[in-house]
Amino acid sequence: MIRLFKKRILGGNGHLEAPMLGPLELQLMQILWSHGESNVREVVCRLDRPLAYTTVMTTLDRLYKKGFLDRRMPDRAFVYAPKFSQEEWGRQRAESVVVGWLAGSQPSRDVLFSSFLDAVGQHDVKLLDELEKKIRRKRREMRRRERP
Amino acid sequence: MNAAYLFRLACLSLASFFLVNGIAGAATALLSSTAIRIAETMRPRSAARVLFILRMLPSVLAMMVVLGLCVPSYLWLEPQFASERVGLACLLLTALAGMACSHSLIRTARAINASVRLRSEWLRSGLGASLNEKESHSAVDQQAMVVSQTEPVLALSGIFRPRMIISRGVLEALSKEQLDVAARHETAHRDSHDNLKRLFLVLSPEFFPCANGFAALEKTWVRFSEWAADDEAVQEDSQRALSLATALLRVARMGAQPRLSILQTSLLPEDQDLSARVDRLLCAEALPIDKASHTSSRPTVQALFLAVCAAALVGIPVTLSSVHRLLELFFR
Repeated sequence: MIRLFKKRILGGNGHLEAPMLGPLELQLMQILWSHGESNVREVVCRLDRPLAYTTVMTTLDRLYKKGFLDRRMPDRAFVYAPKFSQEEWGRQRAESVVVGWLAGSQPSRDVLFSSFLDAVGQHDVKLLDELEKKIRRKRREMRRRERP
Repeated sequence: MNAAYLFRLACLSLASFFLVNGIAGAATALLSSTAIRIAETMRPRSAARVLFILRMLPSVLAMMVVLGLCVPSYLWLEPQFASERVGLACLLLTALAGMACSHSLIRTARAINASVRLRSEWLRSGLGASLNEKESHSAVDQQAMVVSQTEPVLALSGIFRPRMIISRGVLEALSKEQLDVAARHETAHRDSHDNLKRLFLVLSPEFFPCANGFAALEKTWVRFSEWAADDEAVQEDSQRALSLATALLRVARMGAQPRLSILQTSLLPEDQDLSARVDRLLCAEALPIDKASHTSSRPTVQALFLAVCAAALVGIPVTLSSVHRLLELFFR
């Protein structure tokens, strides 16, 4: 199974092909995943912080060269679209992390499996907090009812 | 009785079992979603009972047909030294029955093995001690076994004489009232013979080898049996309901439980919806317990059984001849 993962993820050069994104790159990808095909000006307008047009243009160009985006030129400006969905990218990232751990030493494999088991075995902490709030609310209600 | 005679009997029995179990099982699997919808409208104890009966119906029916009709008709009417051979269809059905039954026997053996192994581990690692008077509360009898694990364990282990297992961690985490109501929950499972029912569920073969047609029924049965045990522990008392909800939460916060055998019941089963359980408990005023006791269905079952026996006895010669003629189709 480990060999299968390695073969799938590792390229012929033996290096991991896990797609890595910097913070700005990730932000631009999220805009394109949410809004679909867009040109540079449209992406600039959708950013939550002001950035130079040229910065965004260069980053989109870098993403295109990394293989994350397709681009075409319907008018005089490039229009960019994501090559794969956010889910597919997430899956590839998860696979590369797992393969990275599995390719490592036995202790790192043990840590990986132990973490997975912990995550699977435990209840979601947020859920438990929500349930605790409900129980406290119920307890207060009952105390109020018991008061004369 | 020669070997060929017995071989034909074995093939006929298995083939008949497979046919009846297969047809009844497939029908049950098809109707399971409807049955679950109907069960949702019933009280948990009644719903659990109905779902369990439905799940067991195909195997029980098949056993009754084989032991009540096929075997008697064969023994009574089949000549010992007949030169008939078992037909290809019969052999195929026998093989399929063998596969289905082997699968369920292996599954049962694994479950029993896991249960025994876990129990030995607890005895080895832990105190294996019973609760002392200080620790023992009204519902937690002194037969409960305390194990030294800090992992959260509050379970019922054993099929014919189930015993409560509590870890030191749980004893320390829960207050007296919470432990009391949690132990009542396990006692309700014990009184309802839920571990024995789990054994029957595991033993009962699927309607086709490697099919998984009863998964939804079984999962829903587990849910309703948990809810029924909650209701019986709480006894319509909102304070107890609150204590049980708190106990569930505290045990959940203690982290991952050890993986129990399918033949053991736990306060917090792995793949059950904790949120739905807690919500139910917090609306305790809306949780009347099923007033029908565990023994109240016995007279009905006994009467039904006697009626079936009487009908069989009355029609025996005609019935067995008809069955024998039908079984002759399996021979060539």
